[in-house]
Amino acid sequence: MRYKSQSVAYWYFAVAMVLFGLQVVFGLLSATKYLGPDPLLYILPFDVTKMIHTNLLVVWVLTGFMGATYWMVPDESRTELHSVKLAYIQLVLWVLMGVTAVIGYLFRYGTGNKLLEQPLPHKIVIVVCMLIFLYNIVMTIRKSGRFTTTEGILLLGLALAAVLYLPALLHFENYTVAIFYRWWTIHLWVEGVWEMIQGGFLAYLLIRLSGADREVMEKWLYVIVGLVFIAGILGTAHHYYWVGVPAYWLPIGGLFSALEPVALVAMATYAYSAIRRSGLAHPNTLALHWTVGSAVYTLFGAGLLGLAHTWPAVNKWTHGTLITAMHGHAAFYGAYAMIVLAMITYALPAMAPNRREQGTALGYWAFWLQLAGMFGMTLSFATAGIGQVYLERILGLGYLDAQLKIQVHFLMLIATSTLFSIGVILFIVDFFRYAPRFELTAETDGNIRPAAAAPLRA
Amino acid sequence: MNKRQTRLFAIASTAISALAFLALTIDSHRQFPKLTNAQNITPAVKHGQEVWHKYNCINCHTLFGEGAYYAPDLTKITQLRGEPYLQAYMRDPSQFYDEQRHRRLMPKQNLSDEEIKNLIAFLDWVSKVDNQGWPPRPILVTGASIPGTDLAAQQQADASGGKGAAQVPPGARPLSGEENPIALGERVFRSASPACTACHSIAPGVNMAGPSLAGIGTRAEKIVAAPDYKGKAKDALGYIRESVTDPSAHLVPGAMYSANGVSFMPNTYGKELKPEQLDQLAAYLATLK
Repeated sequence: MRYKSQSVAYWYFAVAMVLFGLQVVFGLLSATKYLGPDPLLYILPFDVTKMIHTNLLVVWVLTGFMGATYWMVPDESRTELHSVKLAYIQLVLWVLMGVTAVIGYLFRYGTGNKLLEQPLPHKIVIVVCMLIFLYNIVMTIRKSGRFTTTEGILLLGLALAAVLYLPALLHFENYTVAIFYRWWTIHLWVEGVWEMIQGGFLAYLLIRLSGADREVMEKWLYVIVGLVFIAGILGTAHHYYWVGVPAYWLPIGGLFSALEPVALVAMATYAYSAIRRSGLAHPNTLALHWTVGSAVYTLFGAGLLGLAHTWPAVNKWTHGTLITAMHGHAAFYGAYAMIVLAMITYALPAMAPNRREQGTALGYWAFWLQLAGMFGMTLSFATAGIGQVYLERILGLGYLDAQLKIQVHFLMLIATSTLFSIGVILFIVDFFRYAPRFELTAETDGNIRPAAAAPLRA
Repeated sequence: MNKRQTRLFAIASTAISALAFLALTIDSHRQFPKLTNAQNITPAVKHGQEVWHKYNCINCHTLFGEGAYYAPDLTKITQLRGEPYLQAYMRDPSQFYDEQRHRRLMPKQNLSDEEIKNLIAFLDWVSKVDNQGWPPRPILVTGASIPGTDLAAQQQADASGGKGAAQVPPGARPLSGEENPIALGERVFRSASPACTACHSIAPGVNMAGPSLAGIGTRAEKIVAAPDYKGKAKDALGYIRESVTDPSAHLVPGAMYSANGVSFMPNTYGKELKPEQLDQLAAYLATLK
């Protein structure tokens, strides 16, 4: 840790860890309900557990983004944060918002609008938190006068994420129009500006971990951002299939979302070539696992599995089935959960000096169990989804009867998600195992030792 | 390429995409009213939409295929289930489905009558939105458009063995006597021997060996009232009952359904089914509006 104020990141990460654990609990609960019958039908029905599961995901990932940004910006701009106090106020407000929202959900106090269930007062607090956050970051950078491309991309991503949340505050009386603008928030977040945020963190981690040349990395970061938006903005159209909008969104959605993997291929290639050709080797190989893992898993979950059902002629049959759950789990985990876990793994040894820089054995178990578990969960949803599409959509078997015939895949889902959960528990245990000690070191990069490898070519 | 050029690429491609997207958005707004029949968004529909949100329906069901995947899609539900059916269902879902058999059940929502009525109005508006003809084939809640595929292997063996297929209906559940007559009628529809579902679909336009029964409740009223009706029934329920027990009393036009004044439909149901089963069946079919 080079700057004292970077320690705020630890508390953001700690909150993110707790929420991640809770998210998995509600996910497991939801999964068991697929097997049924449900003894909690009138206490915690599926709609409540599923809503809490998805909302916790969004909140913990955003908490992780914020913490990681508070860690990264002092490093990049070489300065203390503008206001540590403001960062803590923001965290307290954010946690209060999150906790009250979840308690409210237990009593079904929400808007009933998928992923945007937060009641209006909570939405306003979210906006306030984002504004405090952006103000704090912008002031930090202004004060330092040093503004890198990597943090520029990150900051722009975060600012656009805040702006794109605004349509979620509007109410539409036409349900189709409401769907249209709901995706401005959801899609343009996860397939647009959040990818920018991920790209920013990825560039930061790769520069630090591999010692890759900053100029080259940042040049390609621009290319990735360009590719993300060429495909991502018009790719919103793949959410406009079959919802009552003009028919031209069908071919547009097919074409541009088929292009979406291009940016993800670029991102994975970018990460791989950076570590392959770099002249330096950072001791924190566990962070490197998470970093490259994130890029590769994004390509698999978001890219390949997204492409699998994005063409209108395919989506006509798969729309609204467990195929979507397959894609959703792998994509969110690879792109956003893993990049936050990468940032945490990278920053943690500097904040808890007793920890081995190379990563603990527990940390590696956490990595591989999570990866194996999530891969198995993805396959379970995929096989269940294929069965559902074939039985229900193509053969015309009733929904409830088709679900009965794919029970075995739900058993597999529960088995693999248990494996995943063990990985999550290990990660959380590993996080809290060493008490934080916020000691300043002159230059963390001093740990980097040269390795015999070809230099990265431009 | 140098860094300045790649930055230019990022900015230009984002700007062009965003502009194209905004232009299409404006054009979509021009078309929304027609595609969604915006003139039909009555206060009842608006209230129904609020009910839909208030009870968090989307976190189990899907609408336009969007939502959770834990319960059936409801985009076209009002075309597959009539209003009286949906009303009775929403008052108490456990009268219609058995959690032990289907392994999941919709919890009772305690909706007011007003909320139920408006929710159905909302769902009916949804079912008429022009959404490029999705779903390409009706998404049924239970049953099957291919007869027999919803039977378990044991049930199929029993049924083909001829020993009383009616005793092991698809969707079998222990009877408690608490069921809604409409729910029981749906069960008769699928379990009578031969099963009505073997020849009739309740999806609009799906004509199998027999004509689709979508909207039969409404059609029955018109047929009974029409001057060329020759049967003995006085009302829609009577007509439906009559066409089950005496299929040739009034013929549906079409060479594939009858010849020489005799319907192709079996005329054995009058003997096979008990009078209360016939009542239940008619009550169920009359809800298909």
